[in-house]
This record gives sequence, C-alpha cells and structure tokens, in this order.
Amino acid sequence: MSAFRQPSVLPGFGLTFGFTTFFLSAIVLLPLAALVLMSMSMHWKEFLDVVLDPRAIGSYRLSFGASMLAATINLVFGFIIAWTLVRYEFPGRKIIDALIDMPFALPTAVSGIALTTVFAQNGWIGQYLEPFGIKVAYTWIGVTVALTLIGMPFMVRTVQPALEEVQRDLEDAAETLGAGRFYVFRRIILPTVLPAMLTGFTLAFARAVGEYGSVIFISGNLPMKTEITPLLIVIKLEEFNYRGAAALGTVMLAISFVMLLAINLLQTWGRRRVVAVGR
Amino acid sequence: MSITLDQVTKRYQGVPVVNDASVDIGDGEFFVLLGPSGSGKSTLLRAVAGLTGVDHGRIALHGRDVTHISARDRGVGLVFQNYALFRHMTVADNIEFGLRVRRMRRAERLARRKEMLRLVALEGMDERLPAQLSGGQQQRVAVARALAHKPEVLLLDEPFGALDAKIREELRRTIRQVQRELGITTVLVTHDQEEAFALADRIGVMNLGRLLEIGRPDELYTRPTTRFVATFLGAANLLLARQNRQGVHFSTPGDGSGRSQEVVAVIRPEEIELAPARDQLRSTYLAEGRVDEIVFTGALERMRVRLNDGSTQAVLAHSNGGDTAFLEVTRAQHEQRAFQVTTGQNVAIGVRRVHVLPTPLSSFTACALTAPEVDRLSREPLLVELATRMKTRIATHVEPCLGIDDGPCAATPDAFAGAAVIGAQRDTAKSVRWLLEHGAEEVLVLPQNASSPQRVLIYWDDEASRAATLAVSASLLRHLSAEAVYLDILPDSTPATQRPHGMRALLDARSEAQAVHGLEMRTELRFGDVAGELVRQLTESPDQLLILGVSDAAGLEQRFRALLGTEPRWPLLVVYRAPEPDA
Repeated sequence: MSAFRQPSVLPGFGLTFGFTTFFLSAIVLLPLAALVLMSMSMHWKEFLDVVLDPRAIGSYRLSFGASMLAATINLVFGFIIAWTLVRYEFPGRKIIDALIDMPFALPTAVSGIALTTVFAQNGWIGQYLEPFGIKVAYTWIGVTVALTLIGMPFMVRTVQPALEEVQRDLEDAAETLGAGRFYVFRRIILPTVLPAMLTGFTLAFARAVGEYGSVIFISGNLPMKTEITPLLIVIKLEEFNYRGAAALGTVMLAISFVMLLAINLLQTWGRRRVVAVGR
Repeated sequence: MSITLDQVTKRYQGVPVVNDASVDIGDGEFFVLLGPSGSGKSTLLRAVAGLTGVDHGRIALHGRDVTHISARDRGVGLVFQNYALFRHMTVADNIEFGLRVRRMRRAERLARRKEMLRLVALEGMDERLPAQLSGGQQQRVAVARALAHKPEVLLLDEPFGALDAKIREELRRTIRQVQRELGITTVLVTHDQEEAFALADRIGVMNLGRLLEIGRPDELYTRPTTRFVATFLGAANLLLARQNRQGVHFSTPGDGSGRSQEVVAVIRPEEIELAPARDQLRSTYLAEGRVDEIVFTGALERMRVRLNDGSTQAVLAHSNGGDTAFLEVTRAQHEQRAFQVTTGQNVAIGVRRVHVLPTPLSSFTACALTAPEVDRLSREPLLVELATRMKTRIATHVEPCLGIDDGPCAATPDAFAGAAVIGAQRDTAKSVRWLLEHGAEEVLVLPQNASSPQRVLIYWDDEASRAATLAVSASLLRHLSAEAVYLDILPDSTPATQRPHGMRALLDARSEAQAVHGLEMRTELRFGDVAGELVRQLTESPDQLLILGVSDAAGLEQRFRALLGTEPRWPLLVVYRAPEPDA
C-alpha cells in the first residue's frame, strides 16, 4: 500500500482509502455489476433481440441524440448565462443567480408537467409556434427542451467559477498589445475556461441521458418516435421482463461509459497543454 | 514631450481618485509615480494606457491626443504586478502575441522574439510555458512581451511587487538597462521609495489622487515642499519651529523671541548630532534628550531619542508615525566611534541642517470663550481630520473676549501661531475681525459636525491677499481629495467690454496656482453681489468649504454680511494679509 501512499497533513490514509473503496463498491460498482450479471444470464440471441429491436434502436437514437443536442445547447447558452452573471452587475442579479439552481431542486416530474403546459399546442408558447408548424410538446424537440432545462444548472455552475478566475489583467494585457475584443475572447478567455466548459458539458450530458421524470410528460412516448430508453426500461419492468430491462440498461451503461471516458480523456489532454509538468 | 497629462481627473462614484494630475514626461525619461496604496497612482497609469477612461482632462502621447483612443490603438506596453502572462501559451507565443495581432510575417516575428529574449536575458526559453518559469523570469517575459510591438511608451505597474528582494534588485537592473538601451519613455508605479530612488530620472509623488510634487530624487529628498513628501520619501522628523529674520529656532512660543512666524521644519535623522553636553555640539543646539532605543543595522545605527520636557511639543510627526515625543536619529560609523551612547543615556541634540517647508498652515489653535468650548471645538471631526492629515497639532487657547464681550483681552501677538479656529456662531464676523486684528493671519470657522469637503471654493477679495490665499489653498488641498474651484465674481453692472478682463484675471490666477504652488483648480466666473453669490454657491451642493482672502479686517463685517452675519453653515477659512503700507 505504501507504493501509492502520498504524504498528507491529515493522517488516516488507510481508513479513508478503505472507506472510499467500500463506498464506491457498495453504491456504484455492485449494483452495476448486478445489472450486467442479470443481462449475462440471457442467451446471446435473446440479448441481441432485445437490444437490437427497432423500437430499442429508436430509443437510443432519441436518448443519446437529444442529450447530446441539449448538452450542446447548454454549452453555448450556459456559458452566456455564466458570463452575464460573472461579468455584469445589474438589478436582480442575485435572484437570477438563485433561479439557476431551481431545476436541481424541483422534482423533475413537476418541470416536465410545467413544460408540457407551456409548450402544448394551446400553451403559452406553444400557441405561437403552432402557426409556423413547429410542434414542441410530444415531439423530439420537446424532449430536447426538457433535457436542456435539466442540464442547464450543471453547465452554469461549472463555468461560473472558471470565469471568475479569468484575470481581468489578462484581458487588459491583450488589449494593450493591440488585440480586439473577439480576438481576446477566442485566444485568451475561451482557452482558459474550456476545461470547465467540457466538464459542464459532460455533467449536463450524463444527467440528460439518465433523465426520466420530466421527459415522459412532454415526449408523448410514441414508440419509435418519442420514446426514450429509460422509459422503455420502465415498460419492460412493468411487464415483469427484468432481463430485458437489464439488457437495455447494460447497453446504456456501455454507451454512457464510452462517451464519458472519451470526454474525460479529451479534457486531460487539454489540461496537460495548459498546466505543464512540474515547476 | 512623450507623455503629457493635463488636468487628468478620474472619479469613482463621485469621489475623485485621480485629481487634476498634470505632468510632462520627456523623451526617453524614466518617470516614477510614487505613492502609498490608494493614492491613485495605478489608476493614473491605467488612464495613460487607455484601460481606464478619464472624467476630465487630456492625455497626449508624443503630441498625439489619445484621451478618447482605446488601449489597443495607443501603442503602449504595459507590465502588471502579477505578470498577466497567458498561461496556456509558450514564452514564444506570449512574446509574439502583439506581433500576431498586427499580422507580422513569421520570419520577422521570429527575429523580433529572439531580440526581445536576448534583451531580457532569457535566450533559449522560447518553448517553455509560464508555469515552468520562476517569478523573476515570468516578469522578464512580461517585459519582453510589452516591448515586442515597439510601443512608444513603456508602463510598469508595480512590476517587482511579487518578487523577493534579491530577484527584485536583479530585475530592476535589467529594466533600467533595457530602458537605456531602447531609450524608451517609461513610467513605473511603485510604493517603494528605495525603488523610486534607484530607477527614476524624476519622481512624481502622489497622495489622495493628487500629484503633489515632481522632481529629481535628490531635489525631492533635500527640499520637499510638502509634509507628505518630506515624511514619505525617506525618514524625517517634522517639528514646529519659529522663523524670524535671524533664522529658525525651536523654542516654545511666548518666550520673548520677538515677532516671528510659526513654520514646519524637516530634520532628516542623519542631520542630527548627538553630544555628551550642549557645549560639545558642533551644530545648532536643539534640545536635551535621553536615548530610548538603539537598533544596530550594520553601517548605520538607528535610535529614538526622547526629548526632555518642554521641547516635546515641538515634534509633530516622523515617518514612522505614532508617538511624537521622540526624534528619529541615524548615525554613521565614525559618529558612533566619536561618541558611544547606550540606552538611557542623557545627550545633547544638535541639528546640522534644517529644511523649512514653505507651507503657510503650520498648526491649528482652537479658540473659544471658555475651556469646555475650546475642548469641544478641538474635537470637531473636520478639524481633527485636517490636523491628522496635515500631521500637525491642535493647540487650545481660551480667550475671554474674542471681540464679543468687552472683557479683558489677553491676546499676545504670538498667541495665534498657525491658523486660529473658532466655532460658527452669531457674531462670527466680529470674532474673525478681532482675531485678525490681534495677530492671526488665518481663521478657520467651523460649524458643528461639518463633514469633510468634496469641493473647495476659493475667492479673494483683493490683490493684497491673492498670493497668501493661493498658498493656503494649495497647502490645504494637498491633504484633501476635494476638487478646487476658483471663483471670480464681477458686479452685475460690469460693462460687456470689461468682461474679457475678468476672464483674463481668472486664467492668470489659474496659471499662477499651477506654476507657483502646483495646485490645479477649476475656474468659474460669476456676476452679482460677492457675498450673495458666495452664499448661493455654497448652498447649491453639500460638503463645500470656502477659502476667503481678505486684506481689510475692519470692512469684513460690512462686506460679507450675507456670509458672516448669520451663523455660517459651511466651514470657512479666512486668509488675511494686511496691504503693503506703501501701496
């Protein structure tokens, strides 16, 4: 154990490390292992049938596609919100800052119902979109809207502290060197907050993939069209098809893990460019 | 001129942080802005760089007015205290940043970068990241980056602040070398007077947003004109002294030394001589004292000498502030050998060289009819604030008549050393007149709980009092962050042909204030009855103070009835100089 032991001010490495392993195992790894084991008890053929069922494929596409789209929307607009909150002083700033956390606290079903009400064909916003042929509720757009709402605080809350750390001096220095505003933004600010933006993107994406409550109300749940994978899993559970549910869960697990790993690697690579080895 | 600042003023939420700063900086000059934190020096530097807009005034670089030109088009190089290097870029990219922005070709860029790295002695460091460099090296990169695009002016904002002493000195030398080699006009901001002395061709000392004094380091050290500069640049003892035709002496008032004027004297610690007894001094005798504390610092010996009773009240302040019963003394090796002292020893104190500050407001004397009133007056917040800022003392004086009663009047000609202070009351005019006729030359009238002025109005009634009013105004305003406004008031009946003369008088006054006293002031021309117009101006906005120059004490009551007849609601400083007898 002494091989990877780091000198630290606080004693008790053994205790804390043991606790970390236990906790991770009990809460994260064991259930996941059970999930995989459960799906392993199926035949290959049976497994593939469930997993490659056209209805399942459609749900993957919606789940991961809409999550990716929502996280991307959050990447842009979450950044703008964080920027506004950090850089400007305006009346009501504190209130808006507090509102950001609302999607965290609200039961997701509530936000789902609220969004449906607003975006339904006769809803506050929906009635104005209707004449243009844009339907939000009960389409994939609605799913994206719900997932954007759910992921937004993750983005804002990770980018905010990073933006606060961008020293004004850097921008001033660039300006005296003759750089225009856009140049300063592209060459100085963006590279500095990019790692935080990637983290925010990852969190928002991960949250969106796992989201259930808010989506089922606004999506309409049409098989092949507006049915997300978590819903499909619930449907299987309600049919007492535990193994089918486990198979779908395993696929989600695999895809999520690969995507999160990819983003994390990208981030590590980016960070290594900024913070050099040693001093 | 490389850099011209003309009456530059910057306010934050109405409070001026840079107040009427004017200076001309020559080509290739190394100019140091020196001041304590919060004195507005960094703001002024940022204004020159174009990172901060100004509310008033003009900034020109090489004759080109850049007041409204953005930082990116000003062509200055700026170095920050925390380096402000782009951490995600290599040293090479950092230095080439300004060149890339200007779309310089690759080969030229490379050549320029190599030249810059040689200049700051960092050859071969091109591909390092800032995090791989030490603090001193990072600041060198910052200097190279600031110079790469060949700016006309180099600005340095506390560039050594974050470095330790040894590296600081090394970098200081590099910067001076680079500056000489390129011949680039440089402005450096610092709070460290040693740094200022080591680098500057000229130093501008700032305090409370004002550029107090500008001069060569040795000039400012030996002949400062303000208390602030005297105590901020090097160590100094400030003493109240009396000056007459024979010279300066330090005896207390009322000892029969004849008609003399109270002045503020600066004595540098190294100009003080110690001897076992008075007759063994080779310099002018000052007082007897006892050595209280000795600190050995290698070449020099620093001590604090406590003055014996009777002479303690002369000391106003020294650079270290605090207790004023001491004199700060430093002695070189040969002095230590000639006369060894130990703690607790009694010594005679002599002074080799005294510098008298040309400031007319030496101290304040609170005057009232009864002791409790005097006591209350001497604790007025505005008076205490002024005295603290001016590093001077408030003496008290109970005067049983003050021109109001016909009781016995005990005033001696010397009783009102410095400015006399009275509370605002119904008979203000009478009291002021009485004080002026009994030897006071400045009278400060204070209403109760007056607040610190944001605006100081200056008006003089006649030519005889002009010079003195300007001097007093300059002396007072150095210690306030208020703006100064000179009012000239012409009678309503002034014919149109006479009005240009009024304008000229106004501008003359402004130039004189600037040239003689370094006081920047606005000017306003008004028409109407003098006292009425002054009252109107004072009523217009809160927190104002009026400095009023007069030379006719007897006519005061009559002429300024509107101002002094009722109980004044504004702090008021009357400056009085009797007209020349032959005029």
